[in-house]
Amino acid sequence: MPEIKLKHVVSCTSEDNTHKADNLLSSDTYRKWKAARAGEKQTSVILQFEKEEQVHSIDIGNEGSAFVEVLVANSSAPKTQDYEVLLVTSSFMSPTESRNGSNLNRVRFFGPNQLQKSTAQEKWDRVKIVCSQPYNKNIAYGIAFVKFHSPPDKNEPPSSSPKVTKLGQFRIKDESPSSGSSLQPGSLFFNRENANKSSTSPKVSPQSDKLSYAAAALQAGGGPHPSGQASSSSSSSASPQPPVKRKFEFSKERLSASGPSPSTKKSPAGSPESKAATPKLKPSPAATPSPSTTKVSSTQRSTEKKKEVQSKPELKPKPKTKPQSEQQVPFKKIMEGVVFVLSGFQNPFRGELREKALEMGAKYRPDWTSDSTHLICAFANTPKYSQVKSAGGIIVRKEWVLDCHKRKQKISFKRYLMDGDESSSESEMEVDEDSEEEVKTKTPQKKEIQVTPKKSPAKRDEEEEYARSTDEEPGADEDESGVDTEDELQRVENESRRKKAAAERTAEEEEDPYGGSTDENTDAEAEEDHPIPELPDFLSGKHFFLYGKFPNDERRLLLRYIVAFNGVIEDYMTDKVQFVVTSEGWHESFEDALMENSNLNFVKPAWIYAINERQKLLPYQPYTVVP
Amino acid sequence: MSKRKAPQESPNEGITDFLIELANYEKNVNRAIHKYNAYRKAASTISKYPSKIRNGEEAKKLDGVGAKIAEKIDEFLQTGKLRKLEKIRNDDTSSSINFLTRVTGIGPAAARKFFEEGVKTLDDLKKVEHKLNHHQKIGLRYFEEFEKRIPRAEMEQMEALIIAELEKIDPEYIGTICGSYRRGAASSGDIDILLTHPNYTSQTEKQPKLLHAVVEHLESIGFVTDTLSKGDTKFMGVCQLQQSNDDEDEEEYLHRRIDIRLIPKDQYYCGVLYFTGSDIFNKNMRAHALEKGFTLNEYTIRPLGVTGVAGEPLPVDSERDIFEYIQYKFKEPKDRSQ
Repeated sequence: MPEIKLKHVVSCTSEDNTHKADNLLSSDTYRKWKAARAGEKQTSVILQFEKEEQVHSIDIGNEGSAFVEVLVANSSAPKTQDYEVLLVTSSFMSPTESRNGSNLNRVRFFGPNQLQKSTAQEKWDRVKIVCSQPYNKNIAYGIAFVKFHSPPDKNEPPSSSPKVTKLGQFRIKDESPSSGSSLQPGSLFFNRENANKSSTSPKVSPQSDKLSYAAAALQAGGGPHPSGQASSSSSSSASPQPPVKRKFEFSKERLSASGPSPSTKKSPAGSPESKAATPKLKPSPAATPSPSTTKVSSTQRSTEKKKEVQSKPELKPKPKTKPQSEQQVPFKKIMEGVVFVLSGFQNPFRGELREKALEMGAKYRPDWTSDSTHLICAFANTPKYSQVKSAGGIIVRKEWVLDCHKRKQKISFKRYLMDGDESSSESEMEVDEDSEEEVKTKTPQKKEIQVTPKKSPAKRDEEEEYARSTDEEPGADEDESGVDTEDELQRVENESRRKKAAAERTAEEEEDPYGGSTDENTDAEAEEDHPIPELPDFLSGKHFFLYGKFPNDERRLLLRYIVAFNGVIEDYMTDKVQFVVTSEGWHESFEDALMENSNLNFVKPAWIYAINERQKLLPYQPYTVVP
Repeated sequence: MSKRKAPQESPNEGITDFLIELANYEKNVNRAIHKYNAYRKAASTISKYPSKIRNGEEAKKLDGVGAKIAEKIDEFLQTGKLRKLEKIRNDDTSSSINFLTRVTGIGPAAARKFFEEGVKTLDDLKKVEHKLNHHQKIGLRYFEEFEKRIPRAEMEQMEALIIAELEKIDPEYIGTICGSYRRGAASSGDIDILLTHPNYTSQTEKQPKLLHAVVEHLESIGFVTDTLSKGDTKFMGVCQLQQSNDDEDEEEYLHRRIDIRLIPKDQYYCGVLYFTGSDIFNKNMRAHALEKGFTLNEYTIRPLGVTGVAGEPLPVDSERDIFEYIQYKFKEPKDRSQ
């Protein structure tokens, strides 16, 4: 496991005159970095690697910080790029220790299991180390040293985290067992437990093998007992050691650092005395997962998918060539074999969603398990989302379940995938969810993208999804969803016809379900084709409030229309509001609102679209939202 | 958490009562948990207000009381009643649903389901007993007993008994009776025990045996009489103190709801803190933790990084440790009933 070379210090919040941040670049552990003043709220230092590297493990020697966090970034990326967490905020001193100024120099090793998986799999060339010490305003703190290690060579045997009890002047606080999770809840505590009850039964833990070792180390070092006062009987306590000895040790280390032989480098600690102090260099088998497996496979998958898509010669696949994922199945078996996990939904909706999926034969798991198949996610970047994404699970939007349930049909989850071209798939969703009127108005917008003759692969992908959906709604459903191939063709015609006849749009066109709608709906079109008509005032004197969430750009669209038609948008639910526009259906709070203001009407966005479509004020009654 | 909150005494009892009633309505009938919380919060601050509130304007100055609640307070103070509440009370749906949720095992969702099937009263429930699950059947059987609050003296007796029995099974067990009892309440709705054992931490396998041994032992001495549910980490059931032999003519003790939770040792004190409450105290404490850059939940306390990513769980060896981490003045359980 080679050590990653540090090139220079990019910046730091502040540095002590003697304990400069540059000290971190050398491997001499007696030269440390401290903030210039005591009691700083937070200090950080940014270091530059010599080249992009993947970080496999980190060793940190503390200098008075209570918490240390390590983040990474790429220097080549634009400045706005945020640092990503590599090592979550980790505890180095308890509040009591901090106040007493004891155990200032704990060393902790963080193996691959303790680093954030997704971040650790990528290459970075810049690290930021953030320290904080909220419990003691009288010490200037920082870190004594930090070492980063890249993944071991493939042909090198996996050697990791040798059990070191002493490293220079430092004692080890924690050597967490590699138990799989990057977060090790309570591991610290655990050790402390062990330390406190050094003589407890061997049963204390299943991993007592490893832990007791660390515990023993703690024991030897006086133990970070909560009561703080390190029993300074031990020579290795926080109190400064005789300089002679230290020098001796460090000079040895320097030796090793200056002439790095491969064998020395195997030890992550990289210091000879760590080896000397360690009678058994126990290779831990679980410590080196091939870091990029998941990633590779997922990219493979996506490329495969792309290939498959690209190889499709026809833009409009014929029905017979289409995938047959939408058999008619008994309602109870629609989701048979699906094991789903929910993320980001709140009750009572969460319950409803789960209920619906269960009714259709799916199985529910509260958390992602190895047998789970689908994550149904409200929005991207929930913790579960990241987890499932890195685990290579399928992430879909709620509409998958809702639509399957509504149509009582098995619909392929593919068009509901959460990742990929978010915007395109989402607008597709609108087509799905919206009521018929909206479909009329919405689809053409869709269509334009669809029929663009030259397609990028991504669009083809979308196209394919589209085509699939055609299958899913054979017969009567076709009209409703408006995604039938023939429809599409017809619309293409309409489209071209419309372009010619754009100027002479008449009432006749209003009868044409497509012509009428195609005209006014695409933003781009509106700009292109309308000779900036005078804005109508269908909604004069009406006050609107948009309630809840609207898929995709719909909110903006609605605002545009309402404003264009001279309606008034209220930012808040005031007494003036006459119409509440919502695409979410009836909400319990509406009752309350009605109690307050009986003039309220709750309408679907379709009303606004219909007005736009017909270019006249329409009665809202057919579009009201009812409980 | 008990379904029955202890009654509060304050100069503004009328106001807090109707707020609590509205809160329960929102929770049980509308399932609007945030409205429920809003009403609860307002009720809580008003209950601490030392003098009688004269009008809505005065109440509005308090934390958690906004324009609409102030309006309701005005209406209540001026007319002695609240139209919204009258409406709710007269509304068959909400009153029935509210009532049904008082049976343990019937929550807002089940209550609504039963109501839609025409089940509105206790007698209706008895008629459809075959439709009830085990938990609900027991809830029905002991309905009256569970409605009664447990006097502190009886709680103390139960605590002594449980602690003594734990000691007998394995002296390493740690048990704490949480809930309002720990905060010194004069009476409690149910008994909530948090259990841990040094052998059980979040790093180890689940150890249901640790829990089941306790439950079985308490059953064997006749203290636990029924089981509502028994999982790896949580037991819900019914318990009853045995009459002492010398006073035969004394009334039998009532059946009480008992929960026992087995918690990993390293998460125990976060659990104890959480289950001691009050829920509003917990919310305030968590808010303070966030201000200090920590995230606190019933399992762990973790520092937050600069990008908001939660760090590793911090070692906690007592409730005090948690307060210390977030630099919050330690409050004895009795002072947490805010």
